[in-house]
Amino acid sequence: MSEPILQVRDLGVRFGTKRGAAEVVNGISYDLHRGETLAIVGESGSGKSVGVLALMGLLAQPPASVSGSVRYHGNELVGLASKKWRGIRGMGIAMIFQDPMTSLNPVRTVGYQLAEPMELHLDLKGGAARQRAVELLDLVGIPSPEARIDDYPHQLSGGMRQRVMIAMGLACDPDVLIADEATTALDVTTQAQITELVAGLQERLGMAVIWITHDLGVVASIADRVHVMYGGRFMEQASVDELYAAPQHPYTEGLLGSLPMPGSDRPDRLVTIPGLPPDPVTMPPGCPFAPRCGYADNTQCTAAMPEMALMAERHEAACYHPIGAGHE
Amino acid sequence: MSDQAPATDDRLAAKPVSRTRETIQTLMANRLAVAGLVVLTILVFVGIFGEAIAPYGINDIDIPKRLTGPSSDHWFGTDELGRDVFSRVIVAARVSLQVGFIAVGFALVVGVPIGLISGYYRGGVDSFLMRMMDVLFSFPAILLAIAILAVLGPGVGNAMIAIGLVYTPIFARITRGSVLVVSEEVYIRAARSLGAGDRRIIFRHILPNVMAPIIVQTTLSLAFAILSEAALSFLGLGVQPPNPAWGRMLAEGRNFFEQAPWMGIFPGLAILFTVMSFNFVGDGLRDALDPKQKSVIESRGQSA
Repeated sequence: MSEPILQVRDLGVRFGTKRGAAEVVNGISYDLHRGETLAIVGESGSGKSVGVLALMGLLAQPPASVSGSVRYHGNELVGLASKKWRGIRGMGIAMIFQDPMTSLNPVRTVGYQLAEPMELHLDLKGGAARQRAVELLDLVGIPSPEARIDDYPHQLSGGMRQRVMIAMGLACDPDVLIADEATTALDVTTQAQITELVAGLQERLGMAVIWITHDLGVVASIADRVHVMYGGRFMEQASVDELYAAPQHPYTEGLLGSLPMPGSDRPDRLVTIPGLPPDPVTMPPGCPFAPRCGYADNTQCTAAMPEMALMAERHEAACYHPIGAGHE
Repeated sequence: MSDQAPATDDRLAAKPVSRTRETIQTLMANRLAVAGLVVLTILVFVGIFGEAIAPYGINDIDIPKRLTGPSSDHWFGTDELGRDVFSRVIVAARVSLQVGFIAVGFALVVGVPIGLISGYYRGGVDSFLMRMMDVLFSFPAILLAIAILAVLGPGVGNAMIAIGLVYTPIFARITRGSVLVVSEEVYIRAARSLGAGDRRIIFRHILPNVMAPIIVQTTLSLAFAILSEAALSFLGLGVQPPNPAWGRMLAEGRNFFEQAPWMGIFPGLAILFTVMSFNFVGDGLRDALDPKQKSVIESRGQSA
């Protein structure tokens, strides 16, 4: 395979809190290739958003401290000077945020906000920027874009705003688009439209997409590869088909078990995972999932974090008792 | 008025309603604010064309007619030197407004950037700037102004600087408070994620979002600045004789209060109307600009 666009190695984020240091992201690694869609899945508080914010250099330091390495086309991004960052953000890597209701500036028109990245990176101003803004709105499927461009965000619905956010992200043809729970705040039909839109655009423009979500249903429809995150670590990584067909990590199994699947031969009841994700300040020394895991033992699992191990071709899991190994 | 309702296809033809127009509409619905605006418009007009409107010169002394009551010749009566009180009140409007606008302008130009920098960068810069502001803020306003004038010497120009300095911490604090909230908003992070630098974020994204409380504070501060100027002139630290100032006239009128109450009453009323008008406009603007306040008014309107 070709050189990855984005190479994340052992990325860690630690927050200093009054109660002690919180290890929110703990050594995650992945590669992102051109045109690929990578999904990072996990519960609230698993560190998935913080992980991408760290990648974008958007965490205030302090209180956060970021370790590890992120290489974008071979250039190190961790610790990059803020001036250099400005050339990459929006131009090379763009991001769509979770809540479309709050991610647009309420006192600026849609057109102004769309034109801003063009002015910053492409030196496009005035009529030319406006022209491109109209094209972008059209591209993301907003009807009569010429009429919409002078609207303020409060005049648009949630789905429309998210489309505008996507248009802003696409303004400078980035290589990488990060969608941080981009559809979570939207209703199901809009969700489907937005995911299809991004998938379609990705195919046309050849972007790589990192899709952060807690919704395995969304993942199944768009992602190529999935990373399952828990307690700041990757628990399992595989292609979508592999992961759904043969989950190896008990946590993945639990997540899939809590997903309604009409027409499957599973029992009628949805299975929940008992308990809550661990507190990042008092993270247990072993596997963070051990306290909630049905397969955990009292020796290995609570003593040390298992290494990521190859389960099948391009399928890895970090578990002493992977499901494929069989349980008595 | 446009609301939070989702835009559906049938709304596509709807014209964009700018926030400015929305604000003006809300303001115009407020009768007190409109009344205040009318008074202020007249006042500004009078301030600009004062000498041309005034029937007499401000220092036209007419001793035989001294201390005469209001009449068709002298609407507001005359003072102890026979000068026309009406003319002096009218001409004094200019200096009051000048001191108000320049002092508040000074406070804005110094205070708002301090607030923006403090609220945006936080940490040590914030502590340093805000402690400086606290020092200024800890003195009673008029006392601090007097102290500053004691150092700089009395006079209109120094009064402007003194009042401006006294009001600077208010603007710094109000701005900082709003910036602290706004800079945590997702859209600020989103702007940064698109490559915007600090300066652009502060001036193009944060500043327009914190303008509402600043505008309201500006109108209210204008009222207080004019009041402060009157107080300083009353104490003889502001406008110097023989130039008229409402505060000065009030002080002079005090000596003749029994014989010629009009000497004090009319400049007093001028101060009252000016300050009240600024306050009404300020209140109206706050209602029009504060979205939370607005929703309360709207819901009240719907239930009625």
